[in-house]
Amino acid sequence: MIASTNFQYQPSEHELEKASNSYVMSLIAIMGGLPLPIINLIATFVFYLGNLKGTYFVRWHCIQALLSQLFLLPFNSIGFWWTISILFTPETITSNYIAYLITIFIFNLTEFIGTIYTAIATRNGKHVEWWVIGGLTHLICKDK
Amino acid sequence: MKKILIELVLTGAIIAVVWLGLSQIDWMKLLNIEPTTQTTEEKIGDLFWKMLKNTESEITSDSIVASVDSMLTRICTANSIDRKKVKLHLLRKDEINAFALPNNHLVIYSGLITSCENEAELYGVLAHELAHMEKNHVMNKLIKEIGLSVLISMSTGNGNTEIMKEALKHLSSTAYDRKLETEADLTAVDYLEKAGIDPEPFANFLYSLADETKNLPSQIYWISTHPESKERAEKIIEHIKCKNFPKVEKKDSLRFERLKEKIKQK
Repeated sequence: MIASTNFQYQPSEHELEKASNSYVMSLIAIMGGLPLPIINLIATFVFYLGNLKGTYFVRWHCIQALLSQLFLLPFNSIGFWWTISILFTPETITSNYIAYLITIFIFNLTEFIGTIYTAIATRNGKHVEWWVIGGLTHLICKDK
Repeated sequence: MKKILIELVLTGAIIAVVWLGLSQIDWMKLLNIEPTTQTTEEKIGDLFWKMLKNTESEITSDSIVASVDSMLTRICTANSIDRKKVKLHLLRKDEINAFALPNNHLVIYSGLITSCENEAELYGVLAHELAHMEKNHVMNKLIKEIGLSVLISMSTGNGNTEIMKEALKHLSSTAYDRKLETEADLTAVDYLEKAGIDPEPFANFLYSLADETKNLPSQIYWISTHPESKERAEKIIEHIKCKNFPKVEKKDSLRFERLKEKIKQK
C-alpha cells in the first residue's frame, strides 16, 4: 500500500517540512470539513496551488496528497448523497447502505492512517509512495 | 502505465469485494435498525386515523366487520402479506370511497360496499388499496406533495391542524399519478389471481363507475379520484386475457347480498 523509496535527490530540511505540511493540511481539513467530502479536497488543492512554484520534491508530495483526496472523493460523494436521499426522500436505510458506509469508512481510515504515517515519514526525510497514487503522481509531476 | 492500471483495477476490485462481502450481513437485523420513515409513517397514520374517527361514524358491528375482514385475510394469506399489519376500518358514509392511510390503515366507506355488484368487485378494491400500501405509494405521495419536513413535524406533534386536515383530504380524495395507479391495478390483479379470484369484475367495477361518474360526481369519490378508469379497466382486461379464473359462486353472491343488507339496515 505504501512504499518508502529514495527520491532522485536529497531534499533540504525546508522542503521536507513543506512536503509534510501538504499531508497535514488534508488531515486538518478532514476534521474541519466533515461530513462534506469536498472540503478536504479543496484545502489540499489550494495548498497545491500555493506550491506550484515549489521544488520538485514539494510539488510531488502536494500532488500525491491531492490525488489521495481525489481518489476518495467519488466514493465519499456517493455515501454523502445516499445519506441525504435517506434523510429527505422515501429511500430507506438498507443493509447495502450500511455495508457501503462501513466500506468507505475502512478506506477513509486507511487513507487517514496512511496520511499521518506519510506526513511523519516525509518530515523525517523518507520519500513515501502510495499504491496507485504514487505511480499516477510520477505521471503528472515531472522534474522541470 | 500498465502497472498503474493494474493497481487501479485491483483497488476497485478490493473495494467492490469488501462492499459485497459486507452486504451479505443483515445489518438491519444485527443493529436492530428500523427505517426511520416507518416510524414517521406509523405516527402520521395513527394521527390521520384518529382525526377520521373523530369526524366519521365507524361501523363496529362484528358480523359486518368480520365479513370484510375475512375477504382481506384471504388476499393477504394468498400473497404472503402480513394481515396483522393492515388495520381495516369501515366507516358509515354514502360516498363510494376507499383509501389507504400511512401505517397500513385501510379505510372503506359503506357506500362503496353497497355499490359493489358482487363480492369480487370488493375484492378488487381491497386488493388495489393493499397494492398501494405494499408498494409504499401512500408515503411517497405524501412526501412528494406535502414534504418530508412537514410530515416529520406532524409526527412529532408540531403539525398544524389545518395542514393535517388538508393532507388527509388529499389522501382520501385525490388520485395517485397514473403510473402508480396502473402499478396498483396490475399488482391487485396479481393478488386476486393468487387468491383464486376473478379480476374481471374489478375491471367491470371501474368501467361501470366511470360511466356513472358523469352523473354523480360528488358521490363517487373512489372512481372520480382514480382518473382514466376506462383505460385502466381495459389494461386489466388485457392483462388477464387468456387466463381462466373461477367465476363468482352463487353462495358467495348470497353471502355478499346479506352483507349489503346488514350495512343498509344499521
